[in-house]
Amino acid sequence: MTGSTEILVALIVVTIALAAVFLVRPSITVGVTGKILAFVALGILPALCIDAGMSAHMQRSEQTQFCISCHAMETHGLSLYVDDPSYIPAQHFQNHLVPADTACYACHTDYTIFGPLKDKLQGMKRIYLQYISTPPKVIVISGGYSNLQCLHCHAGARSFEENPIHSAMMASLTSNQVSCITSGCHDTIHNADQVENLKMWSPGQ
Amino acid sequence: MKLRAIGIRKYLQVSSALIILGLLVEIVSLLWFHPLSFVLFAFVGATLIGLGILVYLASLVFAGSPPTENRG
Repeated sequence: MTGSTEILVALIVVTIALAAVFLVRPSITVGVTGKILAFVALGILPALCIDAGMSAHMQRSEQTQFCISCHAMETHGLSLYVDDPSYIPAQHFQNHLVPADTACYACHTDYTIFGPLKDKLQGMKRIYLQYISTPPKVIVISGGYSNLQCLHCHAGARSFEENPIHSAMMASLTSNQVSCITSGCHDTIHNADQVENLKMWSPGQ
Repeated sequence: MKLRAIGIRKYLQVSSALIILGLLVEIVSLLWFHPLSFVLFAFVGATLIGLGILVYLASLVFAGSPPTENRG
């Protein structure tokens, strides 16, 4: 449990204690002090708890450990440790080109104002498939993988911009007409179905 | 006047019960590291807390309206 979660749990416990007063003795709202206390205990604090809870859950769902806690994602998590630099996610993860603790989220979120919300809705769909419907054997991203998720970091980077292949097709890349990962250039991605047969990198080796 | 007072008390008790239940669910969802914990929070915990707040707000409206027996 992180420090912010501990503070949130403490806030929730205080709110429960205050709300319990009105469950046991609702008559205290007869006085002005009681009315103010009721407004705080049954209005302000619970709303604050919802807001803080949502924020905590949103932050937690960005963590790599959270993503791979789902059974269907275990092999995707394992692919981050493949000992082969041609594996794009592994190369990014192992060289800290993306934050290791939020590696999945770094490359799998829409960098728009509603990006995290769209991702949560996609996550809801996957939870539905996992627990209510039937999960697909091969997991694919609906609508394909957008180049914008690569360009969010690579655009403007010297090594990317000065690469003659990139500069020759920059317009196609930025307009998403040519995919970074399915055009034959950077097409070794997770390969989750093969990952258990590959040599793995062990941190600290 | 008495009827109105009893009504408000019931509103407050229902409101606080819903909020307490929702907050307990929120604590469980925060301590449970599982993909379903977000679903538990969003669809059960937050809904219960939200309902509790709505019931409390309804009690304010109820308290603000003139008592039925004094009309006329």
